[in-house]
Amino acid sequence: MSRIGVFTCHCGENINGTVDCGKVAESARGVPGVVHSVDYKYMCSDPGQSLIKEAIREHRLTGVVVAACSPRMHEPTFRNAVAEAGLNPYLCEMANLREHCSWVHEKGEATTAKAADLVRVMVEKVKHDQPLQPIRVPVTKRALVLGGGIAGIQAALDIANAGHKVVLVEKSPSIGGHMSQLSETFPTLDCSQCILTPRMVEAARHPNITLYTYAELEKLEGFIGNFKATIRRKARSLDEKLCTGCGLCTTKCPNKKIKDEFNEGLATRGAIYVPFPQAVPNKPVIDKLNCTYYKTGKCKLCEKVCPTGAIRFDQEDELVTLDVGAIVLATGFKLMKTDQFPEYGYGKYKDVVDGMQFERLASASGPTAGAMKRPSDGKAPETVVFVACSGSRDRSKGVPYCSKVCCMYTAKHAMLYKHKMHHGKAYVFYMDIRSSGKDYDEFVRRAIEEDDVSYIRGRVSRIYEEDGQLIVQGADTLQNGRPVEIKADLVVLATAVQAQDGSEALAQKLHVSYDPYHFFAEAHPKLKPVETNTAGIFLAGACQAPRDIPETVAQASGAAAKVAGLFSRDELTREPVVAVVNRLPAPTFSYCVGCFLCQSACPYQAIEQEQIKARDGSVIRTLAKVNAGLCQGCGTCVATCRTKAIDIQGFSNEQIFAEIMTL
Amino acid sequence: MDLIEKAEQLLQSGDVKAVLGFEAGTGGTRRPAFARRPGQARRLVFDDACVQNLASYVTRKETRRLGKVAVAARPGALRALLQLMAERQIQEQDVLPLAVDAAGQVAELPTAQAIEEHLALEPGPVSARDRELLDRLGKLSRAERWAFWQGELGRCVKCYACRNSCPMCYCEHCTMDCNRPQWVPVPSHALGNLEYHMVRAMHLAGRCVQCGDCGRACPVGIPIHLLTFNAEETVHAQFGQRAGASAKLDYALSTFRPDDKETFIR
Amino acid sequence: MTDTFEPKITAFVCNWCTYAGADLTGTSRIKYPSNVRVLRLPCTGRIDFMLLAKAFARGSDGIIISGCHPNDCHYTSGNYHARRRWMVYRNLMDFMGIDTSRITFSWVSAAEGAKWAELVNEVTEGIRAMGPYTEYQELAHAGVE
Repeated sequence: MSRIGVFTCHCGENINGTVDCGKVAESARGVPGVVHSVDYKYMCSDPGQSLIKEAIREHRLTGVVVAACSPRMHEPTFRNAVAEAGLNPYLCEMANLREHCSWVHEKGEATTAKAADLVRVMVEKVKHDQPLQPIRVPVTKRALVLGGGIAGIQAALDIANAGHKVVLVEKSPSIGGHMSQLSETFPTLDCSQCILTPRMVEAARHPNITLYTYAELEKLEGFIGNFKATIRRKARSLDEKLCTGCGLCTTKCPNKKIKDEFNEGLATRGAIYVPFPQAVPNKPVIDKLNCTYYKTGKCKLCEKVCPTGAIRFDQEDELVTLDVGAIVLATGFKLMKTDQFPEYGYGKYKDVVDGMQFERLASASGPTAGAMKRPSDGKAPETVVFVACSGSRDRSKGVPYCSKVCCMYTAKHAMLYKHKMHHGKAYVFYMDIRSSGKDYDEFVRRAIEEDDVSYIRGRVSRIYEEDGQLIVQGADTLQNGRPVEIKADLVVLATAVQAQDGSEALAQKLHVSYDPYHFFAEAHPKLKPVETNTAGIFLAGACQAPRDIPETVAQASGAAAKVAGLFSRDELTREPVVAVVNRLPAPTFSYCVGCFLCQSACPYQAIEQEQIKARDGSVIRTLAKVNAGLCQGCGTCVATCRTKAIDIQGFSNEQIFAEIMTL
Repeated sequence: MDLIEKAEQLLQSGDVKAVLGFEAGTGGTRRPAFARRPGQARRLVFDDACVQNLASYVTRKETRRLGKVAVAARPGALRALLQLMAERQIQEQDVLPLAVDAAGQVAELPTAQAIEEHLALEPGPVSARDRELLDRLGKLSRAERWAFWQGELGRCVKCYACRNSCPMCYCEHCTMDCNRPQWVPVPSHALGNLEYHMVRAMHLAGRCVQCGDCGRACPVGIPIHLLTFNAEETVHAQFGQRAGASAKLDYALSTFRPDDKETFIR
Repeated sequence: MTDTFEPKITAFVCNWCTYAGADLTGTSRIKYPSNVRVLRLPCTGRIDFMLLAKAFARGSDGIIISGCHPNDCHYTSGNYHARRRWMVYRNLMDFMGIDTSRITFSWVSAAEGAKWAELVNEVTEGIRAMGPYTEYQELAHAGVE
């Protein structure tokens, strides 16, 4: 006997403004099996939830339909409320009258009729719902942090300090990320490496953190609390136990013409190299693609000079498999390169650089030891033009979004330049100034008022080279669009922040959603900024969207808190929406014929064999059986099964059939 | 050795508990026959009129109870036996297929590999006549095809002879028997007839060995084998997989390739 | 006099991509016709071909089936299996004379709110122009009063 209660929410005017909630509640009353139907302004509020709980008790309800917003929004809220009133939470469903109805249709009879239909569909579904008990699985209390920049380091430290084991995996030979390339950070002008390197060392030395640098994620299997990750530790061609980090090999390498990634191509390095002097671990790596020995079989000079004999040319990549319970994605960002701008020279002009290249020029550890020298001829640039919004907010460049950090770092760059060359001229071409953080606007004001940086509101249409200088053509829109032409010695483009290369492939390995720009997608833009749609995988830093260091650190700590919360129990309860093979008394035992076509369709290898045996031990039948711990509830097996022997609780054949039949 | 001699030999030695073949029926027809004792082997015949797919018997309870059976198998039946092995319904040691050549000589195919090797020498399953029918239907407009099938399926009386004759329709509890929910109306009914044959064709996609027995079994002469053939042809053309090619399961609808070509998905 | 024909459209969508995408359409307040009724499923892999047949029998004039883009399935491979099923079923339906132009298959991700609205718009107008699928619906009523 079904006794269903229907609760229609107005959601203020969000639903009631377009859908006649009273009529919807009224029509629900007429559906067979519904014994109670009301509407209310805010179902998710405390009084709203109390309405539901009281009704369950008073009317002895066997099922509840909340007709309100999307179940992706509030299903857990209402399921919790229902559980508190003593009804199994899986007997509560939501009809989506907001995102799928009131927000997308015009007010009118047709819209209200649709709302009534959607409620009826859910009533039919609830009638066939079974009370389900959550499945308990153990939790592996080890976290995997992918990415060793400030986000990954912060998350790893926080999780480790909470008492849990962490494996930190970084693709390049050293942790540190982009922050290690910066010279000074806004708004304090702190030396970037000075505030970063202590954290880097702490991460390397923390007893709970295992560091794998020059390593990448090869494969991920499993689910929340029970992931199995395979990490590829790329061959450094080095025995790390023997290497003392003396650096002799890096000075002796004859092949010194390789473009240095850390210095953004403004300097060169050897084939055996340490990315930067403060690298953690401070051990070199051999760049197999450019090493003379690996390419031609000749040289091996580094091996000859190494005092401890640590060079290993025969070293192979190592695959390490780990059991982890949670993953933090902190893979960072990349900066658009200057070759994306035909109007600014296709990257051919040596003195048109991007923001990160300028950081290296300004940095004391950079190719010019911090002196202002332009890349082409090493002369001090008397006039520098900074072009904000290069590529960002520009649909034609495929980047309609704002990269967030450029207004601030452009002001910083201009200030650094002026601090180093007091008599130099600095111009900034901008569209808007976005300096909304703490002390940020004051910082920009400082650049304009104290450091005499000229801010011109307008875009740069063209840059070309002439007589060793760069002609920058722009406009000043605060002076009626007056054309402005500046002869600059150096141009810094504040290029767009983009998702890291390989983000799409990584997201697919992890089954994490991503947006059209390949930034990883959060579970909810407002309320779940550090979680992804994939349970157990969290986000930290610029891999989710452009962001600055304070926000990155905050988000990393947030992700770490989520992980620590996950690890605070020994067992995890999982949603019991899993497949089940039906069982019947002898001699039928099941509708399952044991063909196991379902087994090859299951993405999680969750289908096993079960033998039905007679008393003498002989096998009567071999049937399929679902391992509830592995099953994720996709239902592919259900659609594959001819006899309908396997069904999924929560989206059963009967339920969906009833839903269709009621429309 | 011809079929009768082989059957006598097998039954005498007790290697098999029955030989499944054909005997003369009324009016020049042939019908399946079980020879359980050496004396009964003399009834067996094997000629061009012996067309039924005997593999549909090997999954029946009554046959299983007998023990190991030998089966006089045409290529369609051989393919069905392989597919049944792939779907774990029979094991290699449960059946002994007997292939009869044009001269009436019998070859034993005791292993899956032997069957596969034998089949490799056989021509493709679809007869020229059926190929021509399929092509002709394919050339009609959609509305014409609808009219054609409505006309044909209107005669269906839901006798389920097609299902009974099919070796791959071995499910004891068929989806048609399901009443929670009742997917397809049970009686002969315009909608139910369409849906039943649609379901059957889809359940056979990737599993149909194209023996054509269903079309032959239909008492009102509906060419329903063309439906299952169509599904099987799509599977073969799009995914390169064929039912009954091997005793190792390679079911098209539970496998995939990331680069499967689709032209109709937005 | 003549009322505009309002087609009945049933949509089978996967929870992780298209349902979320349709949610985004709502959050973005993009409008589309109200003829569509969305049925939520965990994955396109769950979509049994019989559900489509039932939808038509029950009076749907058009059907939309939508899920995650290939490679992006929340359950790894459900949409790949669904795709294969649809390829075979579509050919079979066409062979039997069922109007497959009334069924639209699509991949709509959780970020494609605008695409969902566009899709529903196009499908609704397309089915409206085709008219009701009486040919099929008549079968359901045959011999039953």
